[in-house]
Amino acid sequence: MEYKAPLETYAGKVAEVVIGRGEKAMKIGGESVLPFHFFEGTIENRPRLALEVFDAEPQDWSEWELKPYKGIISDPVAWAKKCLEFGADMVCIRLVSTDPAGKNAPADKAASVVKQVASAIKSPLIVYGSGDATKDIEVLTKVAEACAGENLLLGPLAKENYEPISKAALDHGHCIIAQTPLDINLEKELNVKLLKSFPPERIVIDPLSSALGYGMEYSFTITERTKHIGVMFGDNTMQMPIIADLGSECSRTKQAKENEKQGLLWESITALSLLLAGANILVLRLPESLKLMKEAIEGKI
Amino acid sequence: MVLIGESIHIISKNVSDAVKERNPKVIQDLAREQTESGADYIDLNLGPAKRDPEEVTQWLVNTIQGVTDLPISVDTLNPIAMEAGLKACKKRPLLNSASGRTDSKELMLPLAKKYNTDVVISVLTDKGCPPDIDSRTESIMETVALANELGIPNEDIWVDPIILPVSADQKQVAEALEFINILQDLLPGVKSTVGLSNVSNGTPEELRGILNRTYMVMLGRRGLYSAIADVLDKELVSLNKGELPNIVDLIYKTMDGEAIDMSSLPQKEQDYVKTARVLMGETLYSHAWLES
Repeated sequence: MEYKAPLETYAGKVAEVVIGRGEKAMKIGGESVLPFHFFEGTIENRPRLALEVFDAEPQDWSEWELKPYKGIISDPVAWAKKCLEFGADMVCIRLVSTDPAGKNAPADKAASVVKQVASAIKSPLIVYGSGDATKDIEVLTKVAEACAGENLLLGPLAKENYEPISKAALDHGHCIIAQTPLDINLEKELNVKLLKSFPPERIVIDPLSSALGYGMEYSFTITERTKHIGVMFGDNTMQMPIIADLGSECSRTKQAKENEKQGLLWESITALSLLLAGANILVLRLPESLKLMKEAIEGKI
Repeated sequence: MVLIGESIHIISKNVSDAVKERNPKVIQDLAREQTESGADYIDLNLGPAKRDPEEVTQWLVNTIQGVTDLPISVDTLNPIAMEAGLKACKKRPLLNSASGRTDSKELMLPLAKKYNTDVVISVLTDKGCPPDIDSRTESIMETVALANELGIPNEDIWVDPIILPVSADQKQVAEALEFINILQDLLPGVKSTVGLSNVSNGTPEELRGILNRTYMVMLGRRGLYSAIADVLDKELVSLNKGELPNIVDLIYKTMDGEAIDMSSLPQKEQDYVKTARVLMGETLYSHAWLES
């Protein structure tokens, strides 16, 4: 008797989010099957890979993390261009300078750096604030204004500050990152609240990505469950693409700090795991692990 | 459904202050209010009752009995307080509770026999709360068998599946419905009870009521005999008396997966449908479940 593989049909579909404008525009998500289930349907947009750039010279990077960017780490524009040379689909600029616990640089200054980078590179741009919920309101609002129409991907928006930031993003034509602390119920709650005033096709979920050995299994489970709930069960409050912002998390681990090879393994294994769980964008630090992820994805697609 | 009023709880500051001062008024007001609201039992939750367990428990039981004829559910983990409470009860009390824990099997269950009470037996074991329906079944079969050996008949046993908050473990909330559904096949003749308000623990205060009420109706349909509940919630008591048949019917339809035209329903009824879907595990819970 001929064997016929049992195929699933799914109730839902991940929203297709477009980041960047004009020729830079790039599609994220949009799949109507679970990650890598090519046998059940089409996955038009492969997962996208971003490399990170800091808006101020990094203080705690290892020597081998700095090596690929020798001479340009104080120049975010040159650094961002270098990321694209390494094969990144997009750049993720992290506005570390604005952190009130650090340099506490003014929002205006950070916004002008973002504007320079956005206009200099030929790829979409992700912008992460410092993560300070209060300061990020000011910083991300300024960024949204300064880069009106660029269609950036701005974040993180948390339950404490989603209202003003999402309004600025809506007014100035940007996409947003909804971030919750590794909790699927809180993730849904924030989505529900955002959806009252913000279009679903412009939201990306950041469930928080922990490193291997430091809680990665939580990130894996939540990413996987988000896909199950959105795609298999068709819950339209859970159908946004997912960003796995893992480079910094991995770099912080004891193992990554010890030596270069371990650092590469830590980031790559975490990245591959979250990719399998369903991440649509990976934010990486190491060009070498970007190369590996690209090979992994292309080998499958 | 038999309702056990939950308001006299040592965790409540009013109650613990009243106990410290031996001030009967707060306790008696709560007992009277719950009696008037339609409670069938008054739960007396003493917690661990570490200080003067005998004297405190007797004082509380007598204070409550001074204003109500309802039977008392003596709710403590302390066997000394329990025995003192059971002794002081005029009406046949409910021993709340025994469980599959070793200390409970050795010290609590024999009290139910000695004082000829009804007894709540929960599925808890020495390892904590069983994680799934099979392990709950295993635990309860074993503890009830032991109770039977001690001479406690199934009819006097009120099985408690242990309800967890929907905000913490949505899957177990749905599984408890299934557990209640199969209980009569497992242990013919046993009764059942739940700590109903636990389902909404962790949920914003103003939203707790609808979770409690909807879950009560759902559990009732699956055969639940009683619940320790907030009887001061008027809508909960009304639902239990069958005064809101439309809501009950709508919850049943939701449980049966019937198509429901949400746009034709008033807000309140839509909320019941959404809540039932969450409690069945059909939609993912979030604190904003009524808003989408």
